[in-house]
Amino acid sequence: MITNNIFSFVVVAFCPNNNEVHIYKLSEDKWEKVHVLQKHDQVICGIDWSSRSNRIVTASHDRNSYVWNLEGSEWVPTLVILRLNRAALCVQWSPKENKFAVGSGAKTVCICYYEQENNCHHSLVKFIYKLIRKKHDSSVTSVSWHPNNILLATTSTDGKCRVFSTFIKGVDAKDSKAGSSSDTKFGELIIQLDLSLSWAFGVKWSPSGNTLAYVGHNSMIYFVDDVGPSPLAQNVAFRDLPLRDVLFVSERMVVGVGFDCSPMLFAADDRGIWSFIRYLGERKAVSSGSKYGSQFSEAFGKFYGQSKHGLNNDAVESSKMRGGVHENCINCIMPLGERGTSLIRRFSTSGLDGRVVIWDMENQQDLSEYI
Amino acid sequence: MAGAEGYVEADNAEAIMTRIEHKTRKIESLLKQYKPVEALKTALEGTHAITRDERCKSAHWIVVHRALMAIKDVDGMLSQLDPEYYDILMKYLYKGLATGDRPTCDQCLRIHEKLTERAGFGCILRHLTDTVNTV
Repeated sequence: MITNNIFSFVVVAFCPNNNEVHIYKLSEDKWEKVHVLQKHDQVICGIDWSSRSNRIVTASHDRNSYVWNLEGSEWVPTLVILRLNRAALCVQWSPKENKFAVGSGAKTVCICYYEQENNCHHSLVKFIYKLIRKKHDSSVTSVSWHPNNILLATTSTDGKCRVFSTFIKGVDAKDSKAGSSSDTKFGELIIQLDLSLSWAFGVKWSPSGNTLAYVGHNSMIYFVDDVGPSPLAQNVAFRDLPLRDVLFVSERMVVGVGFDCSPMLFAADDRGIWSFIRYLGERKAVSSGSKYGSQFSEAFGKFYGQSKHGLNNDAVESSKMRGGVHENCINCIMPLGERGTSLIRRFSTSGLDGRVVIWDMENQQDLSEYI
Repeated sequence: MAGAEGYVEADNAEAIMTRIEHKTRKIESLLKQYKPVEALKTALEGTHAITRDERCKSAHWIVVHRALMAIKDVDGMLSQLDPEYYDILMKYLYKGLATGDRPTCDQCLRIHEKLTERAGFGCILRHLTDTVNTV
């Protein structure tokens, strides 16, 4: 497993499914390991790199978070004690990078922020946290910040997607631009979306914050407009294996990644109706010839092969012909370049096959109308 | 509150049972006219409002089973069936496979293979993960 986050085109940080974060740098066409961040005791399952303040936050099964600061040539960790009794599962910096959210297996979300008074002491705990508790019925699988730095969307294995206010006095200024969201109290549940009957994963906001997308383990993706008292929800069922994570590349286009190994593109038409467009990456054989396009194809080939000869070989062939870039489940997708831009040209994916792949939307002519 | 819900449920159940009886008659007449696909469509229609009531479920299964077993040309049936029915059909196929009855299982497995080709694994996953709206 790799959890990745590419900060720029020349540096990548990822976790090779252990308690370390590896940072690689591109120098003369070769990736070189430049740092290994070692402090966690158990598997790290969330990394986020803030682009402006250049800090890395990690969340791990050891129930702690570290914020890493580059001092000289060393990454110096600061422990953030979350007092969780279950693993920390996901983490994300807020757009202004003055807060970060940690979702946990303890059915809680910790909103951590920098206490300014502690700044000069260099004390052990520089970050303090506030808890959103008793709102989730199960583990929090994903967190996503609204561009206004106040609203936070979460998905959970109870199947629900929720939006909370994280307004913290003294950290967030009352802002007329943020509208009504700055009037809300910390931890207030703005909306609970009850669309999925199975685990929910991978929630993201569109660049403007008008649309929310998340996925269910039932091979469905959900799009929600007008998040508020009267949301407009759309369910899109697709024919392949479920997704794990999503990313808006524009207001009208979403890339979904997951168990099917190839990123899927979803787009909204002029009326705002979302639908599956196509796969990203080579998958020519699947659309026409192959019947079972996934890593299970060989097993299924054997299963059906008992009654029909020939299908067996066919299925094995098709899995070879797939030629996807990833060979196993993709569990993470991250935008590349400056955060907060409304248009994402490049993004990176990482998966259980141990690969980190960079994708470019530039040369996808047929998609230009959605970008 | 729970009591009120139970009452509505029972009331609903009676209405559903009457509808299932209507359906049965319609399906029988369609089968007599050699329209097995129309019969299956009729059987699968209106199953969105699946109740928790076990009596309704089993009565409805009998209807769907009757229509399912009458299908001879699976490919032809699937090309006439709208994709919106795929998910509910998959649920009934698994119900059929769970009966353990040999002819039913044979028929369900035959349809399952063709349906998976058309509807993909997503259809199977939507069945497996849906523990609320069971048939």
